[in-house]
Amino acid sequence: MKKLLVSYMTLGYPNEADYLNFIKGADELGTDVFELGYPPDFAKYDGPLIRKSYSKVKSAYKNFSELLSKSRNFTKKKIIVLTYLEGIQNNLDEFLKNIKSYGADGVLFPDLLVDFPESYSGYIKQISERKLEPVIFVSPFVPDRLISEVSALSRPFLYYGIRPTTGIVTPVGVGTLVKRVKNLIDNKLIVGFGLKGDDDIRESLSAGADGVAVGTAYIEAFEGAGLKGALDAVKKVRNILDEFE
Amino acid sequence: MIEFIPRYWYNIVPDLLRPLPPPRDPEDSNFSRIELLNSIIPKEVLRQQFTAERYVKIPDNVMELYSLAGRPTPLMRAKNFEEALDTPAKIYFKYEGATHSGSHKINTAIPQAYFAKEEGVERVVTETGAGQWGTAVALAASLMKIRSTVFMVRVSYEQKPGRRTMMNLYGAEVYPSPSEITEYGRKELRKNPSNPGSLGIAMSEAIEHVINNGYRYLVGSVMEVVLLHQSVIGLEAINQFDYIGETPDVLIGCVGGGSNFAGFSYPFIGSKRGSRYIAVGSSEIKKFSKGVYEYDFPDSAGLLPMLKMITLGKDYVPPPIYSGGLRYHGLAPTLSLLVRDKTVEWMEFSETEIYEAAKLFARTQGIVPAPESAHAIMAAIKVAQEAREKKERPVIAFNLSGHGLLDLSYYQKMEAK
Ligand SMILES: Cc1ncc(COP(=O)(O)O)c(C=O)c1O
Repeated sequence: MKKLLVSYMTLGYPNEADYLNFIKGADELGTDVFELGYPPDFAKYDGPLIRKSYSKVKSAYKNFSELLSKSRNFTKKKIIVLTYLEGIQNNLDEFLKNIKSYGADGVLFPDLLVDFPESYSGYIKQISERKLEPVIFVSPFVPDRLISEVSALSRPFLYYGIRPTTGIVTPVGVGTLVKRVKNLIDNKLIVGFGLKGDDDIRESLSAGADGVAVGTAYIEAFEGAGLKGALDAVKKVRNILDEFE
Repeated sequence: MIEFIPRYWYNIVPDLLRPLPPPRDPEDSNFSRIELLNSIIPKEVLRQQFTAERYVKIPDNVMELYSLAGRPTPLMRAKNFEEALDTPAKIYFKYEGATHSGSHKINTAIPQAYFAKEEGVERVVTETGAGQWGTAVALAASLMKIRSTVFMVRVSYEQKPGRRTMMNLYGAEVYPSPSEITEYGRKELRKNPSNPGSLGIAMSEAIEHVINNGYRYLVGSVMEVVLLHQSVIGLEAINQFDYIGETPDVLIGCVGGGSNFAGFSYPFIGSKRGSRYIAVGSSEIKKFSKGVYEYDFPDSAGLLPMLKMITLGKDYVPPPIYSGGLRYHGLAPTLSLLVRDKTVEWMEFSETEIYEAAKLFARTQGIVPAPESAHAIMAAIKVAQEAREKKERPVIAFNLSGHGLLDLSYYQKMEAK
């Protein structure tokens, strides 16, 4: 089976035109699923680059739903909205209705299990009732029993964040971690969050990941070499994925 | 028997009831403290911290040094102590004071120094309260043929010249903290020239010293990787209990940051051995009764990532009680979770209570316990008395985390009261 490329981008980053061209280009270059960052109040589990991208777009736009709906015009691939549940949990239904109407297919809250350990199943139900797919985020800090349990509810895949924060490389045993999760689940497994460099990607795939999620690397490329750089980064990841069939 | 030493460490994270909140930066931060860890902590130590495998193999070299340093430590029945308490309960203790450095701290000092040496580091730096951790680091560094610097909380430095001498003997350079060596120390001294110091401040000094000089920092407690290494205590105890055909019902340990308690009890919790797990703190430092569960810094300077834990606040300056090892504001994140979900119970005792417990234990079993460990003894007494009242025969096991032969000035002071 072809390995999946999940491409992350902060909504509207670095500016509207480049952002939309990125979506279009990344689609053509073989992105399977888009994960679009909807700026939260506090991106507590994100690293400095993504945090900076959020502050940048927050000062540039008011209406992120509109950006979401424009993104929809540039890709037919699945769109997962990524944001934090903390801060919107009281207006969650409205938020879900809203993103659904603007074209989202699913939603991912990296803080769902960690910060709402008693009520996560209610939220997952609520997401499904709004006809959105709940992508559940797990990490090495999630106990085995819980990983198995939520994996059964996670669609279209289970998302495994391999490092404590996005874009920050700490020494971890990528292969060991991925194998551990593979053994616990019966679902597609996407590995991301702090995945850095070709070796990490290859190691995840060799250990059984069905795909990877990349984000910080694109933002870094955007900063260094603009849209072309960001799209080159997409191409590079796609090529690595295509080494594994 | 050497065979009692386990070949793997045990990590409880995969077996918890709920996710462990990850480390993170404060909201207003413009840099990543997790990234900064890369220049503070040896790589393999970090890898173990962030790679939550249930079992981690103990390197052969570390196994050898464990044995050199006095492992396996004895598991003993305290029969004479039981008789003095007139209890139907059986009481066992695991004697970590039998290691050469005198406490459980050597269990993590050795692997951390080993991993530091592996990556070519020439000096390791740490802080110490009671002096037990500093002693362990001094010895571990010398065993690995690297150098060590220890920032020692000023009150302990003054109260415990014996500890300082022992660290020097093992080869460490020791400074009272707050010190003039670091920016952070100088700032604290300017604020208050007679600052008694705290573990949080000493930790901040050690980390600053590491960052400025390219050394590596060894972590004494609180972080999961330390608890992982300390699991050697509980795993070894399980082997010993299996050997004598006994299973403890109640497991007890004293708590500073939580490492000896966790190291002793987690393997029992994970393998569903025992039914009560009791963490014991000091009633002078009301971490369990007054602490709140929130993100806080492990160090006063805020250079390490925030951890979600039961805490009295990073700026809390604990009263200068003698149990220096318990003078810490936070509680290891996994232990905080286990306390909150009531898997682990807690008790708090005062210095006077633990003095009586230490005295009784010394007179009946011959071991002078560290005042920290005497908290565990006091809890064992409580449970044993309860058993007498309820006419039950539980098997109690506590961890005697260290001996008190360098804490005699404390006992002198209490004697004089
Ligand atoms: C003998 C002894 N016991 C217990 C402790 C408390 O630390 P922890 O809770 O990490 O075991 C210390 C710390 O210095 C100690 O020296």
